[in-house]
Amino acid sequence: MYGMIHRAMRQMVHEELGEEAWLALEQKLAIGPTELLTGMVYDDALTMQIVAEAAARLNLSVEQCLFAFGQYWVRFAGQGSLSSIMKFTGQNLASFISNLDRLHLAVGAAMPGARLPSFATLENAPGHLVVEYRSDRAGLESFVLGLLQGLMDRFQARGDIEVLHRGEKSILFDIRYQDRG
Amino acid sequence: MLISLSEKQIGALLPAFLHIDTQLNISAIGPGISRHLPHVRIGMPCDEAFHILNFDTAKFFHEGRDVQPVSLIARDGDIQLNGAAIFHEGGCLLAVRFAVSEEMFADSTMDLRDFGHADPVILSTMLIVLQRAMLEESQATAIELAHERQRSADLLERTSRLAGYMAHDFNNLLSIIRLNTDRLVRQFGKDAKIGKLANIIQEMASRGSDITQSLMTLSLQRTDTRQPLCMDAVINDNYGILDSVLGPNISLNLKLDADGRQTVVSYNDLLNALINLLINARQAMPLGGQIDVSTSVEAGPIHNDGAAHGAAPIPHIVIRIADTGTGMNPALLARAFEPQFSSKPNGTGLGLASVRNFAIETGGDVWLESIEGKGTTAYLRLPIAGQVAPMLDADIGAMPKNAPKVVCKQKILLVEDEPYALEALVEMLEAEGYAVTPCASGEEALVALAQEVYDVLLTDVVMPGQNGTEVAQLACTIHPSIKVILMSGYMPDSAALQPGWLFLHKPMESAKLLQLISA
Repeated sequence: MYGMIHRAMRQMVHEELGEEAWLALEQKLAIGPTELLTGMVYDDALTMQIVAEAAARLNLSVEQCLFAFGQYWVRFAGQGSLSSIMKFTGQNLASFISNLDRLHLAVGAAMPGARLPSFATLENAPGHLVVEYRSDRAGLESFVLGLLQGLMDRFQARGDIEVLHRGEKSILFDIRYQDRG
Repeated sequence: MLISLSEKQIGALLPAFLHIDTQLNISAIGPGISRHLPHVRIGMPCDEAFHILNFDTAKFFHEGRDVQPVSLIARDGDIQLNGAAIFHEGGCLLAVRFAVSEEMFADSTMDLRDFGHADPVILSTMLIVLQRAMLEESQATAIELAHERQRSADLLERTSRLAGYMAHDFNNLLSIIRLNTDRLVRQFGKDAKIGKLANIIQEMASRGSDITQSLMTLSLQRTDTRQPLCMDAVINDNYGILDSVLGPNISLNLKLDADGRQTVVSYNDLLNALINLLINARQAMPLGGQIDVSTSVEAGPIHNDGAAHGAAPIPHIVIRIADTGTGMNPALLARAFEPQFSSKPNGTGLGLASVRNFAIETGGDVWLESIEGKGTTAYLRLPIAGQVAPMLDADIGAMPKNAPKVVCKQKILLVEDEPYALEALVEMLEAEGYAVTPCASGEEALVALAQEVYDVLLTDVVMPGQNGTEVAQLACTIHPSIKVILMSGYMPDSAALQPGWLFLHKPMESAKLLQLISA
């Protein structure tokens, strides 16, 4: 995954446990600033090592950590240098998700080598979305659940996300929500 | 007709489209128009809602045909639309899109829904915004890397300083062990058993010294001794090395007439300077040839501070290195000693600059004379330290066991804050026939200097209070002819050494110290 993901993970560990905890993690994995280069694409194995090590320190399972990180990633992107592009992608849950592929199209052009997932909105009714997630990566279901939860938080919506179907390279999510406003 | 599209389909491609009928009334609008210009309604005259920039509204259908560029500005609101007017029998399709601006991203007035899926402008604009975001992140990363590098450099600096301090303290202890073992040998060396034990202690001290050498290397400390060296002997002894530097196509011709004169330098520094000058000469001779190295003794002012006037004439050794290479033009010649300046494609620009630093540090100077197409001659001048001392570079072990004592009783001011080292040095020097005034601190030494004239100042460098280099500077001011020998296991600042001062690294051998005193 690209380095910005690692930077977000570092920020999450900083916020939850403090800088020392991240430095200890870096020491354990023998990594440093060169593994945090924003536009660099790193081996997924390294990203998963970082997640596993962070999970241990946060006293979470890897799945729980992935969920928490997915949720955090939306907040991280929304607050940092990506905030304007996040706003431009959509100003409510349904439009944001339906525009994610267009955002990823630009991200892919900016970061050659990044393997970006696809999100297709199969059903879009008030308070109900069916979203198909496609990726050539496996094992990121919890991360995507966290992302979708993070998006609900971003748009001040509440509701439930369920997995309708798991395919070889796709997962179908059922999102029922209502806007808090 | 190739394809017929519904309003919804056109809206997906062009969310801000408009259609006007032949009466110039709005007959259809895209979803983007509904969202951002809610007052625009179907049936409304187009020029009531928009100002059409590049058409006279009255002649719109007279002037327009086929497909023509068009720009509109909403009369109510600060929205501009750009695109094409597509004329047809039933009116005109304004295939326009919202103008993209930086503010649009910043103020969140619009989002991706307002732009068509195949809109290349919005994709490129998003790409620019993303790249700007990545640049911001990259700058943050670069700053982090710089901080990390600084942290590493600080850690290395602290480690090397610590290594230097450890080496200093350890060297002091080894020095005391060596000097006192020498005392033991002098007093009881006739006893074979004691002699053997003393040898074991000396050997262990030597091994300890090897460890401190490693620490010195880690702390980037210089470990070489600054001593009087016979210039011609150094060049002669290293003929093989110097010749190998030049390669097979260049021959080295020596003419050494410095008559055994010595200069106070570090052996390694002198050799490096000669090698650098020879490399420079070799590189000027791609077709081969001959390089002449000659030495002579001259007297004259040395201008190593860049000042050409007012320098007093002093006797010095001149080393000339003359090549028959390509030579240099005046512009090149003027910059030849500039650090990191090189006329060669792979040159570092450090060779001649380091020769210049060496010359200045030793109180000498260096310059080049060159004629384009004929060659260059380098002149390195170093001050003469003393007279011929044939024993100096000889093997210590070859010294006569019972060397004659000093006939004329030289007076030595000895400054050493380690009492056991001081005691051992006093005993050894007095046994050699010197008159020694021991001082346990720099302050004591200054009092002694004010009261008496000394031939030699032999002082430790790192001491509490007045340090050795400060004592040496004051001693030279009071007694300009005094010979200064500094001894230390750690040299905090090599620049503090003045030209002509001798320097001996601890742990030192008694024989080497006696050589330096008598040289």
